[in-house]
Amino acid sequence: MSYPLQIRNLVKRFGGLVATNDVTFEIEQGQSVGIIGPNGAGKTTIFSQIMGEIRQTSGTIKLYGEDIGALSTSDRIRRGVSRTYQVPRPFSDMSVVENIRVGLMPDSIWQMVIRSPNRDREIELALSVGFAETDLQRTPSELSMGDLRKLEMARTMATNPTVMLLDEVFAGLTVGEIAQIAALIQQMRKDGMTFLIVSHDLKALEPLVDTAIAINQGGIIAQGQFGDVMANETVRSSYLGTA
Amino acid sequence: MGLRWYHFVLWAAFIGGMFMLPEFASKGTLRTIIFANFLAIFAISWDVLSGRTGYISFGHPFLIGIGAYTTAILTKRFDVPVEYSIPIAVVVTMIGGLIVLLPALRIKGSYFALVTLAYMELMYQLVQVIRPDLTGGTRGISGLTTLTRGAVNGYYMSVSLMLIIALAMWLLMRTRVGTALSAIGMNEESVRGSGLSPTRLKFFAFLTSAFIAGLGGAFYVHYLGSIAPRALFEINFAFTIIVAALIGGASTIIGPIVGAFFLTFLLEFLRPILPGAERYFVYGGVALFLYMYQPKGLYEIFMRGWAKLRGTRT
Amino acid sequence: MTQILIQGLLLSGLYALIAMGFTLIFSVGRVLNLAYGAYLMVGGYIYFYVAQTLGMPKIAGVLLAAVVGCAMGLLKYRLIVRPMKGDHVAIEISTLILAVVLQAGIVLVFGDSSKILLPIVPGVIQVAGASVTYNILAATLASWAILGGLYMFVRKTHVGRAMQAVSMDKKGAAISGVDPDSVNMITWGISGTLGAIAGVFFASYTQLSPSMWVAPLIIAVAVVIVGGIGSIVGTLIVAHIIGFMEIISVAWIAPELRGVFTMLLIIGVLIIRPQGLFGREEL
Repeated sequence: MSYPLQIRNLVKRFGGLVATNDVTFEIEQGQSVGIIGPNGAGKTTIFSQIMGEIRQTSGTIKLYGEDIGALSTSDRIRRGVSRTYQVPRPFSDMSVVENIRVGLMPDSIWQMVIRSPNRDREIELALSVGFAETDLQRTPSELSMGDLRKLEMARTMATNPTVMLLDEVFAGLTVGEIAQIAALIQQMRKDGMTFLIVSHDLKALEPLVDTAIAINQGGIIAQGQFGDVMANETVRSSYLGTA
Repeated sequence: MGLRWYHFVLWAAFIGGMFMLPEFASKGTLRTIIFANFLAIFAISWDVLSGRTGYISFGHPFLIGIGAYTTAILTKRFDVPVEYSIPIAVVVTMIGGLIVLLPALRIKGSYFALVTLAYMELMYQLVQVIRPDLTGGTRGISGLTTLTRGAVNGYYMSVSLMLIIALAMWLLMRTRVGTALSAIGMNEESVRGSGLSPTRLKFFAFLTSAFIAGLGGAFYVHYLGSIAPRALFEINFAFTIIVAALIGGASTIIGPIVGAFFLTFLLEFLRPILPGAERYFVYGGVALFLYMYQPKGLYEIFMRGWAKLRGTRT
Repeated sequence: MTQILIQGLLLSGLYALIAMGFTLIFSVGRVLNLAYGAYLMVGGYIYFYVAQTLGMPKIAGVLLAAVVGCAMGLLKYRLIVRPMKGDHVAIEISTLILAVVLQAGIVLVFGDSSKILLPIVPGVIQVAGASVTYNILAATLASWAILGGLYMFVRKTHVGRAMQAVSMDKKGAAISGVDPDSVNMITWGISGTLGAIAGVFFASYTQLSPSMWVAPLIIAVAVVIVGGIGSIVGTLIVAHIIGFMEIISVAWIAPELRGVFTMLLIIGVLIIRPQGLFGREEL
């Protein structure tokens, strides 16, 4: 059986610093896994390696059984894995729908020229993440952090992923915005999306995940049901810095 | 592509107006406009790559020069007819530009700018010393076939070329390619994160840009009838092209055209007052001021004014 | 052979000085100052005006050039770079326009023709069978002295280390209490000063002309691309590589091909090791 995402012995060194220390885990189809850990533990680094933004020092990354470790970021996205970023990176001079348009584009210049944008799909995606009709023409400078996160999710969804990596998607949001995004994620889970979610906000994270992986200093210190991981002594002291 | 009726009307008016110009303008003005047309072509060429993606190229004179010298050498030294030398020149420009600039395109935009700057200097030195028998060395080549005779015919040739290029690029940039290229200029990482390959897009933009530059350069040299390295591979020429595109409005097609005309006429206006290189002081100053006030150029200034007018109407 | 060695060393010292101001800005501010060559141009012309036209002592000329260079750097930062808030494209464009405006300004004030600077230190000396002007020797020695001073400054002083911090990680430096704005101001000031002094020497090596800002910019560009950012020593080494390559191609191959090998080196480095020979893993 091929897992949507399978990581084996992932290692990343920056000179003398070991940022990712022999990380191994897999995610099953439709599962939602939370990644927790203190600041600087290396959670985002793992994401970056999965997406190919950073080249791993050693280890394998498999997407549905295929080794994607040597592929470019855009190739990996074409194969179904996509992520959001801690700091949203929208296209500053484009409207909400135009932003989504970029996510919907085929990676072929010929196709870009001869086929028009799918405006219905753009609007559909924008509305699905919670934008109102009046928001569609607004530009990033007019949007709140919550809206920017929603935009990023819409653009990520536009690439039609089967595995979604969410990096600190709740940071800096109001309670209402958190509820909105949480509802969106729950809906996508129902529709069968596989998730890997990094979050500091453990309260918001708990209802959204099936299992959790705790990371400290680049390595996995606990895996399993969310409650069990949270009760783990090593995990608790890692947050307090006494590990 | 979202073409509306007013697009057709505006373009028709534009084309019609340009063709009727010789009825109203003097020969002298026509010659100035010919220069403006060619500058517009070069500015559009620059904008397709640099205005959109933010990979500022200082090497456009480099590309224009390859096109110009190729056709000049082929027609003058090897008696190749113009109908062949011009297409060949365009292809050579694309290939030559690619060989030289491809490594730089793959990396950060700032490095690209630096490399194009360096290559310009290099071409200036090289063309004077490599095979001066072919290139004419420091003095260049003169007595080339001219395609037209007289100001009016020259005008029609230049304006037709400019309008064809402008229309073609306008249509191309209205497709999603234009959106993608502009996206690169805003956030290249996010383009990659959207599943697109920025390198391939930059490659395409560069080839298109080189195509136009080579075409424009080849026709230009057959209008002038001569070619000299000093005029071509000069930082001031690059500067003029860039400023034309920016002041008019980068990432648009009408912008570079407007900018080219504005600059050309400004220079002509300043000529009796400040004959030498001092003109650049004024017009560089104007450029700097305009750019810092509104980096999106005259096009944006116009659009905002237009929107304000319509806003008060309703 | 010794001729080549000596000429190479001399030229490389000058190139190192020229490149250093440019590299500083790029590594600390991550910004391309395309008007960098203009510091050299203005510095050279001020020296010319003070020392030759006015007839004042040469050292006054050099000092004034340095002061004006520093002021230019600070002004440029305050008026152009800072308002643009790190928009790289906008800064590249603005500095280019500025450079052309300055060139035109020089033409307005001093005229279009090139001028020969009288040697700062007259006389010729025979070193190991090669004749070397005191002028070039003084320029190179001064370059080394200045670079040595700069190295000490960056390594040992508080401010210098702050600059290093900002160049490595701006946010991290800010969190540690370093004010990136003042660091940037100081860096631009130093860059301007270095540029102006380099300009005086460069002008005495070649000649003074309003378009003289392009060549040093290209040299600085070559050093930045080939050497990468983040290491003063690296910049020095690369300046020597380029300097020697030029001397060798002039002496043994052909004078016209002087810049060609530098270009080939740039292409090669871009393909094989884009972050530069001594660059930190950036790209």
